[in-house]
Order: sequence, then C-alpha cells, then structure tokens
Amino acid sequence: MAVFRDVMPAFELFQPTSASDAVTLLAEHGSDAWVMAGGQDSFDWLKDRIKRPKVVVDLSQVSGMSGVRDLDGGVEIGAMTTLTTLVGDPLIRERFPILSEAAGVVASPQIRNQGTIGGNISQDTRCWYYRGGMPCYRAGGNVCYADTPTAINREHAILGADRCVAVSPSDTAPALVALDAKIVIQGPSGERVVDAEDYFIGPGIDITRMHVLKPGELLVAIRIPATWAGTDYYFEKVRDRPVWDFPLVNIAAVKVVNGGTIERIRIVLNGVAAHPWRLAQVENAVTGKPADESTAAMAGEMSIEGAFPLRHNGYKVPLMRNLVKRAIRGVQEA
Amino acid sequence: MPEFTNGNIPVVTGDTPPVRGKLVGQDYATPDMVAKVTGKSKYSEDFRADGMLFAKLLLSPYPHARIVNIDASEALAMPGVKCIVTKDELPGAADYITDLGEKIEADKRSDVGLAMEPMYQGEPILALAAVDELTAADAIEKIRVTYERLPFVVDPFVSLRPGGPNARTDGNTWARPEAAPGEEPGPLDVVEVKWTEEDFKEYAEGKMPMGKPTDEWSFGDVEEGFKNAALVLDETFATPNTSHQALEPRTCMAYWQGGKLFVHVGSQSTIQTVPAVARWMNMSEDDIVVISEYTGGGFGAKIRGTVQIVIPAILARKCNAPVMLRASREDEHNIGGARPSVTGRVKCGFDKDGRITALDMYTVADNGPYARNGDYSNAATMVSLLYQPPAMRWRGITVLTNTPPRTAQSQPGGMQGITLMEPLLAKAARQLNIDQVEIHKINAPEGKARFGPPSGAGAQAYTTSCFMKEALDSGAAMFNWKERAAASGTRNGSKVRGVGVASSTFVGGSRGFDGLLVIKPDGKLYIQTGVGNLGTGNYSDSQRVAAEMMGVPWEKVVVTWGGTNKNLPWSCASGGSQTTHATTRAAHAAATDAIAKLREIAARALGGRPADYLVGGERVYRRGGGASMSLAQAAQRAIAMGGRYDGHELPEDINKITATSAKNMAGQGLMGVARDNYDQDGRAFSFVAAFAEVEIDVETGSYQILDFLAVADVGTVIHPSALGGQILGRSMLGIGHALGQKWVYDQHLGIPLAKRFYQNRPPTILDAPVKMQWGALNIPDPETPVGARGIGEPPVASGCCAILNAISDALGDEIFRRAPVSLDMILTSLEAGKPVTEPMTAHV
Amino acid sequence: MSDEHDPQSKYVPTRRDLIKGVIAAGAVSSTGYLFRGSITRAFAAAPGSVERMLTLDVNGQQRRVDVMKQETLAMTLRYKLGLTGTKLGCDRAECGACSVLIDDVPHYSCSVLTHSTRGKKIQTVEGLASPDGTLHPVQQAVVEQQGFQCAFCMSGFLMATVGFLKTNPNPTRQELAHGISGNLCRCQDYDKILTSLMRGAELSREVNNA
Repeated sequence: MAVFRDVMPAFELFQPTSASDAVTLLAEHGSDAWVMAGGQDSFDWLKDRIKRPKVVVDLSQVSGMSGVRDLDGGVEIGAMTTLTTLVGDPLIRERFPILSEAAGVVASPQIRNQGTIGGNISQDTRCWYYRGGMPCYRAGGNVCYADTPTAINREHAILGADRCVAVSPSDTAPALVALDAKIVIQGPSGERVVDAEDYFIGPGIDITRMHVLKPGELLVAIRIPATWAGTDYYFEKVRDRPVWDFPLVNIAAVKVVNGGTIERIRIVLNGVAAHPWRLAQVENAVTGKPADESTAAMAGEMSIEGAFPLRHNGYKVPLMRNLVKRAIRGVQEA
Repeated sequence: MPEFTNGNIPVVTGDTPPVRGKLVGQDYATPDMVAKVTGKSKYSEDFRADGMLFAKLLLSPYPHARIVNIDASEALAMPGVKCIVTKDELPGAADYITDLGEKIEADKRSDVGLAMEPMYQGEPILALAAVDELTAADAIEKIRVTYERLPFVVDPFVSLRPGGPNARTDGNTWARPEAAPGEEPGPLDVVEVKWTEEDFKEYAEGKMPMGKPTDEWSFGDVEEGFKNAALVLDETFATPNTSHQALEPRTCMAYWQGGKLFVHVGSQSTIQTVPAVARWMNMSEDDIVVISEYTGGGFGAKIRGTVQIVIPAILARKCNAPVMLRASREDEHNIGGARPSVTGRVKCGFDKDGRITALDMYTVADNGPYARNGDYSNAATMVSLLYQPPAMRWRGITVLTNTPPRTAQSQPGGMQGITLMEPLLAKAARQLNIDQVEIHKINAPEGKARFGPPSGAGAQAYTTSCFMKEALDSGAAMFNWKERAAASGTRNGSKVRGVGVASSTFVGGSRGFDGLLVIKPDGKLYIQTGVGNLGTGNYSDSQRVAAEMMGVPWEKVVVTWGGTNKNLPWSCASGGSQTTHATTRAAHAAATDAIAKLREIAARALGGRPADYLVGGERVYRRGGGASMSLAQAAQRAIAMGGRYDGHELPEDINKITATSAKNMAGQGLMGVARDNYDQDGRAFSFVAAFAEVEIDVETGSYQILDFLAVADVGTVIHPSALGGQILGRSMLGIGHALGQKWVYDQHLGIPLAKRFYQNRPPTILDAPVKMQWGALNIPDPETPVGARGIGEPPVASGCCAILNAISDALGDEIFRRAPVSLDMILTSLEAGKPVTEPMTAHV
Repeated sequence: MSDEHDPQSKYVPTRRDLIKGVIAAGAVSSTGYLFRGSITRAFAAAPGSVERMLTLDVNGQQRRVDVMKQETLAMTLRYKLGLTGTKLGCDRAECGACSVLIDDVPHYSCSVLTHSTRGKKIQTVEGLASPDGTLHPVQQAVVEQQGFQCAFCMSGFLMATVGFLKTNPNPTRQELAHGISGNLCRCQDYDKILTSLMRGAELSREVNNA
C-alpha cells in the first residue's frame, strides 16, 4: 500500500497536432501511454501517484477534434469539444437540448470549460476505495472493499454488479445512450463505430475498464442521429451538492408523446450500475400507453425489479423508481 | 427590530442608546483590501527565500502501528535530497512557566508533529527536505518503513463495548484519577473505560447506551422536574465530525538567521504563536520571529499556528537552509484539526406551556487519539445557558479513536450540544401544540442568566447581559414568522415547504490583554496589534475605538500587525468569539491611558489641571475654550518629557512581550499602553436567533433553503458589514453541518474515505440560501467599556438547527436522528415511515 | 504482524528543476535556479514532442520559462513567475482559488498543463488592475463592499467573475451565483461576496459604457 498521494511524478509529454499522430504515438508506446483530453480525471490519478504512465499523450493541440457540425439532421461532435461548448452550442440546443442540459450540470463551470465530452464519457469510476488506491478487483486485485458488511457504499451500484460494485459517474453518458449516439473510435487499423450503449461496459465484460477503448485506440467523435432530434425529453441529476458532485443517480429520457400516448421512448439512468442503465423492457412496456400517473407508477416499479441494494445505498431504489416516474409523467406541480 | 440589518428595515433602537460614532458603527474598507484584491497580500506559501528547500511528509498507512525500523538510505542517496527528521529529533513538548512562575508540565502524550507510534492513518512519521517537491515526493517513496500493527478503533461505541479495542495502548479516554477525601484530584490521565453488555441493550434500537461516565455534574432536583412534566422526551442524536478546511492549507516556511528562528505561517494570533513555538521548540521567546500578515482562514485550527511548524524549523536548522512545508489538502485532512462528532442522549421534561422542567443529558465525543477535547463538556454548559433548565444533570465521556486529532472549531461543543437539543425542542413544541418561537422564548435566558455546573460553594456563573428574547422577537417580525409558520408543511406537487427557528449562544469575549499605541510628532496615531488577520476586520476594526475616543480621523491612523518583529503587544487571538470584546477593551485601555497623558501634558504646558482638558479634533483643548495644543505638539512634548509619557517607563502589569515591544518604541512619541483591567460582573456571551424556510422534494429527498435570517445580540456594533459577514458566514458553516459535511471512515480498515471536497462536502455558493439576511440588536453590553461582544461562534448552531427544524416542520419528526440530513436519509425515512439512518453508527 | 513498505520504481532525476520566485519579508536575497529533467531519452524526432523552454503570454507580457512536462500552470505561475496572487487551495479542481483566465475563459490553473497554454493569453489577478494602479471595476467593488473575509479564495473568485462577465455582462444575482459556482469560500461569506460582485458587474458596465 503506497501512501504518498501528492505531487505528479515526472512523465514524457507529447502534444500531437493531429489525431493520426496521436494514434501513432499511442501505438508506439502501448500500455506505457496515457491519453489526456481535458485532464480533469487524469490529474487525480497522476497526482495521487496511483497511475504512473511513462508517457502522456495530451490531445489539447490536436486540430479538428473539437466542435459541433450538422450530420444529416443529427450532429457530429468532436471528442475534444468542451462541455461548456455543448451547453451553449445552438445546434445542440435546438436538436438535442437534453445533451446541453446534461453537460451543464457536470461538476463546475471551470471544469466544464476544460473538460471534454470525450473525457466525460470515458472517465473512470469514483468508488472511494478504488480511488483511494486499494488493491481491489478493478485495480487488478481480488477483493471488493465496497461490498463488505462494514463497507460504506452509499454511492455504489444497485444493479448489474459483478464482484465490483462501482458506478459510472458520467452525466452526459446516459443522455448519449438515450439519443442512440454512435462513438467513433480511431485505432491503428482504422476507424470503428460503436453504439453508445455498447461503448460502456460492466465488470462482467472487463472489470478494469468502463468502456471498450483498447490501448492504442482514440475516441475521436460522437455522432448523434436525427432519430431523436427535437423530441420531448426529461433529464434530472440528483446529487448532494449542486456543484462539483457526481450524480447519486441521474436519468435521461427522450420520448415522443402524441395525443397523450407514448409513441416511442428511451430511458437511461446512471449512478445505479457500472455503465449507463437502459430500461429497454420498461420502454417496451410503456410504448403505446398514456403518459400518465398509472403508466408512470407501473414503469417506476418495473424499473427497480432486480435491484440489489447494499447496506447504505437502499435509497437509490426509490430514487430510481421516482425518477423513472418523472421521466414518464413529468414533475408533479400542484 | 434590530438597528443594524442588511435589508431596508426601519431603524428602531431599544431603551439603551447604542454607541454610534464617526467610526464605531460605520462601514469602511479595511487597510488590507487593496493588497488582497490585487494579489499582493502574502500568505505563508507566498514567501520565497534563497536556496529554499521543500519538505514532504511520510504518512502512516495504518490507523495504529509501532515503527519497527526506518531505512532511508536509498532516499538520502538521491541527488537533491538533503535530510530527514523523525520524532526522536524533535524537542518534544516543553514544560511551560507562566508569568507568575508557575510550572505547567507538558503532557508527554501530546501531538508533537511526528510519531513513532502513529495513531491514525495519515499521521506524519517523518519529514524529508529536498531541493524541490518532486525530488522530495520521489524520495519519500524510497523510504522503507517496517511497522508492527496495533489494534485500532474509529467508533467510540465500539471502544466502549466490553473487550472493545483501545485507540491507545494505555487506554481509551481521559479522566482525573479519583482523589482521596479532602485531596485534590490528580492531573488528567489516559484510562480505560468499558461499559457492560447491559448498558448496550437498547443500542440496536438506536438508543444511546449510557454506561459509566468520566465526568458529571448536576443542579436542581432533576427527578422532581420529570415528575412535574406534562411531556417527557428521550432522544438520541448524533452530530458529524467535520474538518475545519480553511481554504489556506497550513503551509509553513522557516529559516534561521543570526540565531533566530523565523517562521512564516498562517495563524489566528501572530503574537501568541511566539510562546507556542518557543514551547514546541524548547527555545526562548526572544529568539522567535513569527510573520503572519494574512491568514487564509482558521476557524479554530490555527489559533497559535500549528505544532507542525517544528518540522520545517528543525529541517531548516539541520540543512542550514530555508525550508517550506507546503501542506496539501490531504495533509489538511490529516493534521488540520476537526470538530469531534458528539452523540448525545437527552431526556427532557416540559410543562404544558413548553417550559423545561428538567434536563438529563449524556454526551459521548469522538476525541481522536491525542489531548482531551472539551467539546463533550462545553456542549452541556451551553445547553444549560441557552434553555435555562431549573434542574439539570450532565454526564459525559470523550472516547479516544484512531482518527485525526480534534481541535476547537467555531462554537466548539456549543454547536454539538445545541444541535442535540434543538430538534427535541421543536418536537416538544409540536407535541404540546406550542408555536416554535414561543417555546424558544419561554425557555430563553435573559439578563444575568445563570449557566454551567455549580461551583464548590454551589453558585453558578452568570452572563454579563442577554437579550435572547429580543433577538427572537425581532427575527420573528422580520421573517414574518407567524404567517409563514401557518403555511408550513403545505404540499405543492412533490414539494413541501417548512420553516424553522433556532437559538444559539457561545462565550462572547475574554479580557486582560494589552493595548499599545503611539501618537507621533507627525500627528498620526500608530496602533499596534498582535491579533491574527483572518479577514474578520478585527485587527483594524477594534482600533477605530481608540481613534474615535481621541478624535483622530481614520486617514491619520496607521495600524501595524502581522510580524512579531514589528513591536506588537500581547493581544487576544482571533477566534472563539473572544476577539471583539477583548481587543476593543485593550484599545479602550490604551486610548484612556493616552488621553490621561495628553491632558497631563497640556496642563503642564498650558496651565491648569489635567481635568480642565479634553481631547478631540486632533487637539488637547481647555474645557470651555482657550489654550490648546495639537496631538503632534503633544507628541513632541511627550518625547521631551520622557518617562512614562514616551514609553521609557511602563506599567508593571503588562505582558512581558508588550513591554519588550513598548521599549522598542520608546521615545517615538506619546505612548498609550495599558492592560485591560476593567471589571466585569458576569461572563460575556453572545446570542443569535435564526429563521429558515426550506423546500423539500419528496420524490428525490433533495431540498433547497429559500430564505434565511439571523439576528444577533452581540452588543455594540463596531463594523456593520464585517459583522454581517460573520453572522451569515458562520451561519453557513452551521448550515453545512445540516446539509452534508461529514467525515467517513471505514470501520474495518480504519481509513478515511471522504478526504476530498467532493466527498466531505463543504457548502458551495449554490448551497447557500437563495435569500439571506442578518440583523443586530446593537444593545451595548453594560459590562464592557465599548459594549461590544464577539460573534464568530453563536451563529453556527442556529444556522444548522434552523435548517433541521425547518425540515422536521415540513415532514414531521420521523425523518432524521443525526446530522447532516442528506437526501438519502429523507427519502428512505419517508419510504419507511420512520428514521432509517440510525444515530449509533459512526461515520455513515 | 509486520509489513514492509516497498518503494516503487521511480525516474531518477538527472538535473534539478527550476524555482524562481519573489523574495519577501526579511528573507535572504537572490534566487536559486534548480533544474531537473524528466527523462533524458531523446524523443525529439517523434511527432508532438515538446520543448521545455516555453514562452508564455501572461498578463500581456511574454515570459520565457523552463517548464517540466508534468507541470501545472498554477505551479509555473506561483513558483517560476512569482505570481503568487493565484492561490492553491486544493490542487484538485475543487476549490477554484487557482482560477485564471486562459483566452478570457476561467480555468483551474492547478488542472491545466502549462505546456497546453502555449500561444494562449493567460491573465491572473495581478493583471486585472491597470498598469497605473487603477483597480478593475470588480476589484473596486470588492474594496468598497468589504466583499470577502480571509480572501484566500478571492483572486479565484475575481477571475471567475471577470471571465463570466465577458459572456454575460448583465447577470441576475442567481445567474452570477451559477457563473461563479466553481469557487469555494470557507469563510462561507457567500452572500456578501455575491453582493460585492454584483456591484462589480454594475461598475464594469458603467466603465464599458463610459
């Protein structure tokens, strides 16, 4: 157990100016390399001296990797686009305001000015045992410190846990999954595109990673199809402090409601599992139903089936249920 | 209605006319503001010295262990690494000789800065100095330490269980050994106290066990009081451990020059840090210079700097170079001090009108591993004052744990004690169907209010003055309480609003410090102060009393502070709500001395008796007109006359540090120098009434504070905007204790989990109430010459409890049994119909 | 039970790093230049490799400075350029005391690599007042209103406010609170801070409209 948690160790720094140069560098340095976008997750790992890359590839100077452009009625977003840009971008606000809203509640203004959409969806979990340097499953060990009888696990998973009970802390990730976004990945052998829903992975697939990026691969862009452009939506982030804090639970839903009937809908929550948790069964069950209290109640109850709370995170069950209800029928006014 | 507020409230004064002069009671910009806004103000980490080295700490990975071996050879062989220091090389706590020659023996078990038997995870074991931080950090990781692990405990109740672990090998609490009849009890000692299984029988139901205490006192007939009660409540409640988290970490830079030790450090008391460092270093006070012009927050954790000053000091001597120990935020968690959690059980009887008939209180504090923290006991004293029970018993114990050392934090003990009581009082009001303000008023202290344990002769101490009821009335009117209380609990969709009121008190001043000023031949008034500058404005505000008394315009006043090489007097520390009371008295004493001397000089120069002369308008003038002289001329004459007029002869009762400073300034002009010897009938306390409205979303449990008001009984208002900042700023500190601030320790591993701000949650600007207002009664305290008392502490508990009481007013009593009240607690309690988060487990 | 604390592999420093700063208050004169390299292996040929010597544009001045690869802007400003008005409260992007403007946008300088600021305009609290000493209207308002207490957070708040006002010169109180919500004050004087900064916004508009 190393105890010194202060001062970044030295590393070699590369600041490529193109994505292809970045990919070349990553290929050359393999597992010695660390990709830095806005750095707001990276600096914690580096200053804590837990992750010790020999080489850091900083993407801040890469051209062509930031900005928002029209793509067949949808949008393409460069992975280095800052969260602040997404909050204010006219195209995003018009077509996918749920993403603006989600980006707008991340951390703090300065972090949104520095942090990127690529970084926000690729950041590591905030489990305080793992972040504290404990040699847990996710850190390559063979124990989960957050899932013991005495562990303090208020912020951990109620769904999909597999040995590790950490959760994904991203606010934009559930919005992108709800919007059926596509993640564009560049690697040594060219480009591949994966559905946002498949980009995020749980411990059952790989307990040491939260996404499908392999060493040497670079997330370069996010494409959002026109499918959900301009539709109704619901987004809410529940957290302790209104600034800086990660979500305890958040919800992103996009829906088309016609004459009071739900025609189509996608509902995704985060903070409940290791990856954004899509409620496909609930979506099916409510499609064609009225967007009213009884549908909401049914959807809420259905959403928490199979939830398995730990000692201190039982509140996430009613919280998830209530947020799903709100996503269907909205927030109750008097 | 209070005279001073930040809103457009009509001005109405009470029977006693408030002091309000050209300076006292007026807003102004303190002399340090321009340096602060331009970034020129220098805090401890902003100093650099030639060849300065950086120190880093090696921290214990274990909550309790003994160091078997340290191998630093590889680290010391690294280029750029200069030296290390361990506990063996520290001087250790030295005995203390008081001014009266009394010897106070140092406690050999106190925290000296480094440990060979670390007693909490993160405790510093050694420090290493190197040419830069990176080298120091890399070198620390090359040091091999062999540990023998020892039993540990992070929960007081786990330690109190039969066979439970002790935090120290010699015991788990502090107590005085029982004395033989007729003999004085011995000094405090570490002892072992274990409770019985029987004591713990209600533990699982969330009721605090009450085994054998280490301390207790009582007054009145408690049993009789309960017999006469219409309602008796028995409640268990827990308050959180909270770090002070001043934004400026406790960085210190030290170097030696000409045999003297210079330390640049943030401190709440520039001058009192000198004897503290002298004791820690076992050196003469004459050889220590403390530079502390700007301190980035203290809240009790930097009263006299901090013991870790010895680390760069020793390294600097060893390496023969200046050394900076730049404390990191994580270092702050470890060595920065914290408020202890207090778990309490209170049984309280009320008559049908809500008046308390008897109070039986038991407090258990989470002490940390070192010196006895007095919060568990202060808690009871403050409760005895604030609610004036006719009969009360208190029992308590402070339990040692393997967690970082505790230090007094704003309203130490008072915050916890009042927070144990306020939710209970609000519950009683609901059960008795009494208005919440009324139940506070019927139990409120007033005038010379008695408090605390009876002395040997059976008499209790009492306050100098108290206008708690007036503060409650003013606040209720300003807040429009009656109308809003009637609507409390009304549901609007998923939102419910509630209003709450809470009262609070704490010691409002100390006395006996020195004032030192000089009128120089340039006609300016030079005032010296040894108080720390934490931005409360005190270092300058209090001097306006002297300027006011002497009729010197503020533009002609030069305030000197911040370096003990600048001839500072022995002053009160900036903390504990002591300061405004103490420093205005010292300023008053020095100005009174100067005025007397001016009148003597004028009489001698211009004829007549001193009593014929008055001081004002920068002159000494004859009553009814005639001869006068300017202060500049008088200063010139004082120098010519020498003796006590220009500081060559000094009063005998001033502190020796003041005497040294005064001697250095002798001959520069007319000196006013005096100890505050003013009589005082009673002890100074200040009081606050706070009101809040919250809106809770019952589907998420989250809530927002819509409105907040605090009205203070703090005596004469010296500097309104600074006072307002204190009232609302310290209210926010309390609000943080309601909203989410806390420590989290893993019981099994004994390690801190919440070390970062995003984990232990100090409130952000968006946590602050949407609307905030303050008021001050401005009724002078009759027992102090300027009428002013301190304010930093009392708003804390009322801030916290106004929020807690507003939540329970909206949702009922079955929501929380501990603070902070986070959204998960609200949601699960609403879901279950009873409080789910029980109070008895530490660190959840 | 006995545990050994194992050292982990580390880069061996070959040179020493540079520390240049102001000397203040009785400390001795002249400054030590301590250089320290990161890794001597030559990466010069690789794309994106960086030079340690940088020219930074700080408060309108071109400052030549030797910067370690892993160095954050806060460290460069404070320990190499002597700009100690920028404070380090947490070093972890969660207090805001180190906020500076980079191309007019507020950033936490503790969480920006100095190397990534090449070619950008950096402004710190020292660059707010005019060279003749005239205070920036936001500074002026804070002085007038006694807007902060210990003021360790102040320069960060000032920079966040000045940056925010560039995007929204006429904010409501609530909008400004959101704009500067990435700054923590532990004296918790938020109400008075906000009042003084709202006054700063007003004075700024007056200056800009004059």
